[in-house]
Amino acid sequence: MVNSDTANEKIPLIELKGITKLFPGVVANDDVTLSLFPGEIHALVGENGAGKTTLMKILYGEYKPDKGEILVKGKPVRITGPAEAVALGIGMVHQHFMLVPGLSVLENIVLGSEPVSGGTVDAKSAREKIEKIMQENAMPVELDVDVDSLPVGLQQRVEILKLLYRGAETLILDEPTAVLTPQETEELFKTLETLKAQGRGIIFISHKLDEVVAIADRITVIRRGKVIGEMPVQEANRQKIAEMMVGKPVLLQVPVPEVEVGEDLLVLKDVTLVEGGVKKLDGLSFHVRAGEIYGIAGVEGNGQEELLQVVSGEIFPSSGDVLLCSVQVCGQRITKIGPLGRRKIGIGHIPADRQKQGLFVNMPLYVNAAVGWQWKDEFQHHGIIDYKAMREKAASIIQQFDVRTPSVDVPANALSGGNQQKFIVGREISFDPSVLIAAYPTRGVDVGATEFIYRQIIDEKVRGKAILLVSADLEEILALSDRIGVIYRGKIIKEFSREEATPEQIGLYMLGVKEE
Amino acid sequence: MFNIWYFLLRGLQISAPIAYGALGGVYSETGGVVNIAIEGMMLSGTFFYVWGAKTTGNWFIGLLAAILGSVLLALIHGVVTITFKVDHVVSGTAINILAAGLTRFLCMQAFGMETQSPVNPYVPPTVFGINVLAFFFIPLALFTIWLFKRTRFGLRLRSCGQNPWAADSLGVNVYMYKYIGVILSGVFAGLAAATLYPNQWIDAMTAGRGYIALAAMIFGNYNALNAALASMLFGYAETLTYFQEQIPLLSNISPILIKTFPYVLALIVLAGFIGKTKAPKADGVVFEKGED
Repeated sequence: MVNSDTANEKIPLIELKGITKLFPGVVANDDVTLSLFPGEIHALVGENGAGKTTLMKILYGEYKPDKGEILVKGKPVRITGPAEAVALGIGMVHQHFMLVPGLSVLENIVLGSEPVSGGTVDAKSAREKIEKIMQENAMPVELDVDVDSLPVGLQQRVEILKLLYRGAETLILDEPTAVLTPQETEELFKTLETLKAQGRGIIFISHKLDEVVAIADRITVIRRGKVIGEMPVQEANRQKIAEMMVGKPVLLQVPVPEVEVGEDLLVLKDVTLVEGGVKKLDGLSFHVRAGEIYGIAGVEGNGQEELLQVVSGEIFPSSGDVLLCSVQVCGQRITKIGPLGRRKIGIGHIPADRQKQGLFVNMPLYVNAAVGWQWKDEFQHHGIIDYKAMREKAASIIQQFDVRTPSVDVPANALSGGNQQKFIVGREISFDPSVLIAAYPTRGVDVGATEFIYRQIIDEKVRGKAILLVSADLEEILALSDRIGVIYRGKIIKEFSREEATPEQIGLYMLGVKEE
Repeated sequence: MFNIWYFLLRGLQISAPIAYGALGGVYSETGGVVNIAIEGMMLSGTFFYVWGAKTTGNWFIGLLAAILGSVLLALIHGVVTITFKVDHVVSGTAINILAAGLTRFLCMQAFGMETQSPVNPYVPPTVFGINVLAFFFIPLALFTIWLFKRTRFGLRLRSCGQNPWAADSLGVNVYMYKYIGVILSGVFAGLAAATLYPNQWIDAMTAGRGYIALAAMIFGNYNALNAALASMLFGYAETLTYFQEQIPLLSNISPILIKTFPYVLALIVLAGFIGKTKAPKADGVVFEKGED
């Protein structure tokens, strides 16, 4: 527990003064100044790549700043590594959890600060200490299970317990809600309020503006490494923050026009997939009609990945059928057709992981313009590749889909994540598939590019295509989908129409609390 | 006559070097460093044993020399993979090739012969007719399990092999623990060497036992005791080949075919089990601080 007296003092827990960090070719942080008071939640917002995480890694000792000063409770300090940060009462929950699979929850919490007696780890006193913390903060977790077996929300709780176990007064949370359901987010916010009431300070990194406005006391916006503005939450609204983040006016809600839906273009009938004796998909059925966006909502690991593989043709289901109706074929059973074959008959695919599946990151953009579609006559004549045609294709995607790149000759990984994604979206759409699979289409993409990608997907719907949207971002699913299917343990357990869908209702089904 | 007692003891003696190699692998890979260099470390150890014991007339100095000879290569593996972040398999392969050449070179320098040393009479004492060192691998395997489960060192070493970035973020000195894991694998390779055949050094005398040890480690699912027991499976399979003529069922099979038995067994075991075992999650992953 933090002494409640400190909450009243006006010495900040943390002060960052003039922090500058250079990476080769990039100024990640440019003269950043930021402070955090006891009992305060300070939100740090900005687009991807704005330098939020870099700044926090400097505070946590993982990076060395090139310039600037850090003060903890008014005293200048040098933080050379996480161990020093921990000793100064600073703790960080990384965006990608820093948990060790194969170790129990208890082992994960004590790792690095193990109580030792007689040469061995004193599990008993560790357990007592952790149980006390869990009780004080109403954050129960089972201590003896493999941390890997816990759902994401509880894993995050373990991360916070790690910090409290070390007596952290300053907690840095990097995009903590990105992986949570609405209910889990609510739980997290309750926890944060408790911690705040104890006089701890919390730095909350996010780009979900609703949440920032809901939980923060103060907001700092950074763009391209620079602080653009700082304001108390009373003076902030979503529109204002978004414009400060992007540097130009942004439309937060992309209008979705009403389109008359046509016949079923993609149908999954009772699809079951058994892998290693485990039912990954369990009698899953849905259909997507022409002019319709069908969103799949669910907690990660409930079969989304397998569903995508079954629809794209990467794996074949153990039983059940996939049917396609496109320009090329109609009502055809495509259950046993592979990914290439499916592209040939009208399925386009924006894959979940652009680095792994969407692009050959080390190859030039013009090659990537034909990836997945290299068999097309326009790219080859009697088996000889036509690079000129590929270059033209790449140039047209770049122009049409606003991809920022110096040329078509640079390797794909020279582009920012948002531009890579726009390039992939552009490529898939430009080949005019009847069915478009959009898997996590804006994951790790900034606000500006997100808006652009949403528009492209909506345009496809208007053109009478069927779009299957899978995303971890519930807001995104609600913004785009005409119908929403909630996937739970490999099954669509509930379908919502746009009108009846609310985040709370969907959240309950995502957690399996309600079942049809 | 087939003497079961004698067979069991011989089997233990033959299993021991494999088991020590496997335990060495467990230490290294638990810390996240893939170690196919066990073979080379064992070979280096065998030379240094004979050289150390013969030069000083003391088997125990020979054992220390064997450990040093193996640890030297382990250190190279550590520097190359941990500090210089080279792919672990590339480094391991290079070390195995290096060990093959180095031992021949040193043998030439020390004894004036390239492919074998003179006979070394200073061997570890025998108990029940076998090398006393052969009795320690099961206790050491049990000790390893206790060490990994109960101590701070074990917890931290495991965390480095499972998620070094997480360990680093909690202030664990990942590089140090990885080095310790690799160096301990060298110590075990030295023990393996001193148990294998301390009477003489012969070119390439480890004959793939380091690889079999790795097979045993995988078959044992990176668990020290299971790896030791798997080593006994391979060890006793090899022992069978020496007792072939005394066993009625086996005596008609070609001895050449019988000699392949342990290797074929290793292949089958790996083919059948490799997909089902769980290596540490970050085994073989090059770790760099401040990257995630």
